[in-house]
Amino acid sequence: MTKIVLTQRDHRVLSAIKGPTGPEHRQLANEVMKMALEKANLQLDEISYVVATGYGRLNVPFADRQITELTCHARGVSSLFTNVRTAIDIGGQDAKCMKINNGKMVDFVMNDKCAAGTGRFLEIIAATLGAKVEQLGDISLKSTKKLEISSFCTIFAQQEVVTRLSDGENLEDIIAGLHDALASRVAGLARRLKIEPDVVLTGGVAKNAGIVKAMKENLGCELLIPEDPLLTGALGAAILANEYFQKAMSKAEASPTKARRLEKAIFFR
Amino acid sequence: MAEEAKKKAISRLKSMYPLRAKVDETYLKSVEAMRAGKPTVWAMLNFYYGDPIIKAMDLEVVYPENYGAAMAAMGVAQSYLDRADAEGFPTHLCGYSRANLGYTSRMMKELKGEIPPEAPLGGMPKPIFLMASTAVCDARYKWFQALGRYMDVPVWTFEAPIPGVKELFMEGSYERMVDLGVKHAREFVVFVERVLGKKMDWDRLSETVDLMIEINELWHETNELRKAKPCPMHGRDFWSSMSPALFLMGDLKDSLQCFRNMYDEVKYRVDNHIGAIAQEKYRLLFAELPPWHSLGFFNRLAERGWNFVVESFGYHPPMPLDLNGFSDPLERLTRFSLQVYVGYYRDALEQNVPAGSFAYPYLKYAREWKCDGAFLHPLISCRSASTHLPYVSNVLMERLKVPSLTIEGDIVDLRLFDPEDAISKAEPFEETMEHYRRIRRQEGLDW
Amino acid sequence: MIDKSKGLSKAKGIYANRSHRVKELKAEGKKIIGYPCMYVPLEIITALDLISYRTYGDMAEPVTEADRALPTAFCPIMRSCLDCALKAKDDFLDGIVTTHSCDPQEKTARVWESYINYSYFHFIDMPGTLRPEALEYYRGQIGDFKKSLESFAAKELSSDKVKAAIRLHNRQRALVRELYELTKPEPPLISGTEILQVVKALMSLPVTEGNELLDQAISEVQGRTDGPQKKPARLLVWSNTLDDIDIMQIFEAGANVVIDESCGGIRAYRADVMLTDDPLDGLTHYYATEITCARTFREAVFGEASKDYMVDLESRFGHLKHIAKEWNADGAIFLLVRYCDPFAFEMPSIKDYFDSFGIPSTYIEYDYTQGSLAPLRTRVEAFLETIS
Repeated sequence: MTKIVLTQRDHRVLSAIKGPTGPEHRQLANEVMKMALEKANLQLDEISYVVATGYGRLNVPFADRQITELTCHARGVSSLFTNVRTAIDIGGQDAKCMKINNGKMVDFVMNDKCAAGTGRFLEIIAATLGAKVEQLGDISLKSTKKLEISSFCTIFAQQEVVTRLSDGENLEDIIAGLHDALASRVAGLARRLKIEPDVVLTGGVAKNAGIVKAMKENLGCELLIPEDPLLTGALGAAILANEYFQKAMSKAEASPTKARRLEKAIFFR
Repeated sequence: MAEEAKKKAISRLKSMYPLRAKVDETYLKSVEAMRAGKPTVWAMLNFYYGDPIIKAMDLEVVYPENYGAAMAAMGVAQSYLDRADAEGFPTHLCGYSRANLGYTSRMMKELKGEIPPEAPLGGMPKPIFLMASTAVCDARYKWFQALGRYMDVPVWTFEAPIPGVKELFMEGSYERMVDLGVKHAREFVVFVERVLGKKMDWDRLSETVDLMIEINELWHETNELRKAKPCPMHGRDFWSSMSPALFLMGDLKDSLQCFRNMYDEVKYRVDNHIGAIAQEKYRLLFAELPPWHSLGFFNRLAERGWNFVVESFGYHPPMPLDLNGFSDPLERLTRFSLQVYVGYYRDALEQNVPAGSFAYPYLKYAREWKCDGAFLHPLISCRSASTHLPYVSNVLMERLKVPSLTIEGDIVDLRLFDPEDAISKAEPFEETMEHYRRIRRQEGLDW
Repeated sequence: MIDKSKGLSKAKGIYANRSHRVKELKAEGKKIIGYPCMYVPLEIITALDLISYRTYGDMAEPVTEADRALPTAFCPIMRSCLDCALKAKDDFLDGIVTTHSCDPQEKTARVWESYINYSYFHFIDMPGTLRPEALEYYRGQIGDFKKSLESFAAKELSSDKVKAAIRLHNRQRALVRELYELTKPEPPLISGTEILQVVKALMSLPVTEGNELLDQAISEVQGRTDGPQKKPARLLVWSNTLDDIDIMQIFEAGANVVIDESCGGIRAYRADVMLTDDPLDGLTHYYATEITCARTFREAVFGEASKDYMVDLESRFGHLKHIAKEWNADGAIFLLVRYCDPFAFEMPSIKDYFDSFGIPSTYIEYDYTQGSLAPLRTRVEAFLETIS
C-alpha cells in the first residue's frame, strides 16, 4: 500500500491517504499524492519537504529525501506514544521491530525473507479458507481450544489447515492457532532486541483483534496500538521531513526543497 | 493384531537388547554421578580419540549432540532454540548447537549455574571442560567456542585431519597425520591432568584403548556378516547397538561380551539363512542420521520387503588395521581413529573417487552389501549430514546404477519428517529399484 | 584524459573483465593455477613461474549447474564458484588448489575434482587450531603442495626461489597496506569500491603486474582532487569475502567504507610472511595465523585450564579493535553470507567485543544473489540512520 500523510509544522495531520500499490501502481505515488493534496486543499509547491519511505522509496521522483521505514516508524510511533521503547510493525510483506530511546531508533531487526510472520501469512490462509482477511480476527476470538499449528512455513501451514479441518477441528480453533503461530514468529524476532515497555504494535495486522491478543500472550506484556496503525510510517516520515527542513532553514542554507513535478516514476532511461 | 504384525516385521536380535539397555543404564548412572558432583565433560562425538582418555581419567561425559536429539525427541527443544535466537545466534546454525546454546544461556544466566528444572533426562550440569573436535564439521568446534559467552570453561579442540585421497599417499603424509594425532593426544593428557590435578593411569588407558579396539573389530566383523543374503540384521538393530562401541559406554569388558554374543547370533542366522525380515525383496543403504523419533517407520517398510543392510560409515566401526608393534597406547588410539576416514582411501584411490571422505564408502557399501537402493535423509539444520548427499546420489547412479530415494527431515524440527510422505514414495521407488536391477545385470554387475 | 591502462582505471577495467590478462598469458604459454580461498600459499605458485588466479563466484549469475552436485542450503559463494566452473567460465585454468579452510571449501573441492578434469589438482588440508603440533602438520601439508606443484611444473624449487617469491608477495602486501593508509584521512582519498576493484584486479594478475598497478594507484590517489565525498559515517566492514561493488555501493551511498576486513579487502594483506631460513616455515606461520578468517580456533593460551571471556574475545578479535581505532570507524557492519558457520558462530561474541569499546555495530546476512541487495540496502540505511 502507498500511504501519504501531510502535516503542519506542529505535526497536526492535514490529510492521510492510503492507496493500493500493485505492480501497476508502484510508479504511481504521484496519483496518491494528488488525492492527499486534494483532501488537504493544497498545491504541490506548498509542500516544504517530502520524505519517502518503505520499499518504494526510490520510486518517488518528487521526494526530497529517502529514509528507511524503520526510522520513520520509530519516529511516528514516538510522536503518538511518548514512552515507547519497543515498536513492532507487522506489515503486509515484512515484520520489523525497533528499539527506541528518547524518540530515536537505536536498534532494529527485520524479517523480509519469509511470509510467515507477516500479513501475507494471513492473506494466504484466508484465501485457503475462502474467508476475508478482515474476518479472521473476530473468528479467532471465539476459539475455546488451544491448537498448535506446527508448520514454520506458510505453505506447509496451508496444508496443515486443510488436514486439521478434515480431522474435524473447529474453524475458530484453527484460526486462533494460526494467529498464535504468526505472533510466535514475530515475538521471536522481537526478543532479539530485549523487549522493554512501552511496547507499541503497528501495521495493518494490528487491526486484527486476534493477533493483538496472541501477541500479548506471546510477548507476555501489554500492547499499545495507535488509532490508525497503518499510518505510523508515513507520519514519522512527515515529522522527519519537518525536522530536516527546519534544520536546513536554521543553517540559512538555500531551500532544501527540490524542484519537483508530480510525475510517475521512470524506471529505465 | 496389525500392530503386532507390524512390530514383528523386523526380527530383532536378542543380543541387541542388552546393548540398547546399556545406553539407558549408562546414562542414568551418569546422571546420578553428576548429581553427586562428579566432574563432567561436555564432548563432541570424537571418533574414539578423546573418549578413552576421558574414561581412563574417570570423568563423566555427556554429548550435547545426543542430548539435543533427546530434547528434540521429547519436544522440548523449542524454548531453547527461541532463547538462542533472542541471544543473537543466526538462525541457520546447527539446530543442536542452538538448542545447547539456549540451554546453557538459561542455566548460566538465569539460573546461576543450576540445572534447569524443566530439562529432560536430568539435564546436563556445568562441565569442567569442553571437548570439541574438528571432525565432521566446523560447528563442532566453533559451537563450543561460542559457549564461552556463558561459561568460563576451557575448550580443548581435537584435530581430525582429512587430507585429499591422492594427497594422503604422498611420501610421509600419513606418518605426519599420525604424528599430529599422537602429539595432540599427549598434550590432551597433560591438559586433563592439569585440570583435574591428578595423573593419568597409563595402564588403565592402555587397557581402555585395547578394549575399545577389540570391541570395534568384533563389531566390524559382525557388520561384514550383514553382506549375506538374506541380511541377518536390520539397520534398526545397528542403530540400537552402536552407541556402546562408538561412545565407550559403561563397563567395556561387559560390552565386549555383549558384542561377542551379537556376533554369534548374527553368525548363527547367516549359517541358517535367517533374514531380519520375512521376505527380503530390497536391500537398502541408509545415510546419514536416522529419524530417531520415528524409527517405527522402518517396520512399515520392512512389511514391504525393505531390509536396511548397511548405514552411515561414520557410525560404522573403522576399517580394521594391524596395530601390533605399536606399544604406545596413544599411537594405537591415533591410528585407529584415523581409520574412520583414511581406512577407505586406498580403495578410493584405486577406484578414482576423490571424495574418499564422504562418498567412496557408500560405493563400497552398495557394491559389497549388494544394495538395490540408497535411502538418503538430508536434515535441514545439519548441513554436514546433508550437503554431500546429492553428490553421493549421483556417484551411486553413475558408477553402480544404484538409485537413491531422498526424504527430508531435521534434527530439531522433527515435524519436517513425514512418514506418510515417505511411504507414498516407497512404492514408485520399488519400481525404480527393480528397473535398475535389470540395468545392473545388463552392465555385468552381479546384484 | 584518464589513462585506462594505469592505476584505478585499469583496476576498474580488470574488475569488469577479470580473465583478460591470464588468457593473454596462457596464449604465451604460461600455466594458470586457480584458487578459491586466500589460504592457498600463492608464493609457491609464483616461485614456479606459474600464474595464480583467484576463482570467484558471481552474484549476477543465477546458479543452475551446481544444483546437480550441491544442495541449496550451502555456502552460496562456493556454490556459485562451482557453478561458474561447471559452466566452463574458468576453462583457461590448468589446475586448481583447494584447502580445508572450511566445510564448504572441503566439500566443493572434492566435487570439483570429480566433475572437472584439470591437469592439476591439489587439496591442502588445514588444522583447526594453532597448536604447535597442528602447525607442524600444516607445514607438512604445505611441503606436500610444493612437491606436487613442482611435479606438475617439472621443476624443482630452491629455497632462494621461494624466498624471492615471498619478497614479491610481501611487497604486494605492503603496497596494499599503503593504499589503505589513504582511507585514513577525512574524507578518505579512495573509496571502498575503488579498493575492492584494485584488490580483485590484484587477484587476477601476476604478482609483479599487481605491484605495478598498486604503485600507479597509490601515486594517483595521493595526488587526486576527485576523491570520495565526505559522508556522515566512517564504516568498518567485516565479512567472509566481499567481491561485488554492488554491495560496496550500497554501503557507500550513505557512508565512507574506510576499512573492510574481508578476503576481498585487507585480510590477506595485513601482515607479512616472515623470511625464515626454511621459507616454508614462514609461510606456514603466516597462512595459519595471520589470515584472520573465523575458521581458525584461536585461544588466548594453548590448552588453558582456565578461561576468561573477555580475554578470549581479545585474542580472537583484537586486530579488529586496532583497525577500528586506527581508521577511526564510527560503526561496524558484520556482513555475512548465509550458511557460513564459522563466521556465524562469531555472533554475538563479536558484537559483545565491539560493544566493549563503544563502536556501534550491526549484523546483516545476505545470500549472494541480486535479490538480496534491496533488503541489504534497507538494513544498511537503517543502521546508518541509528548512528548518525
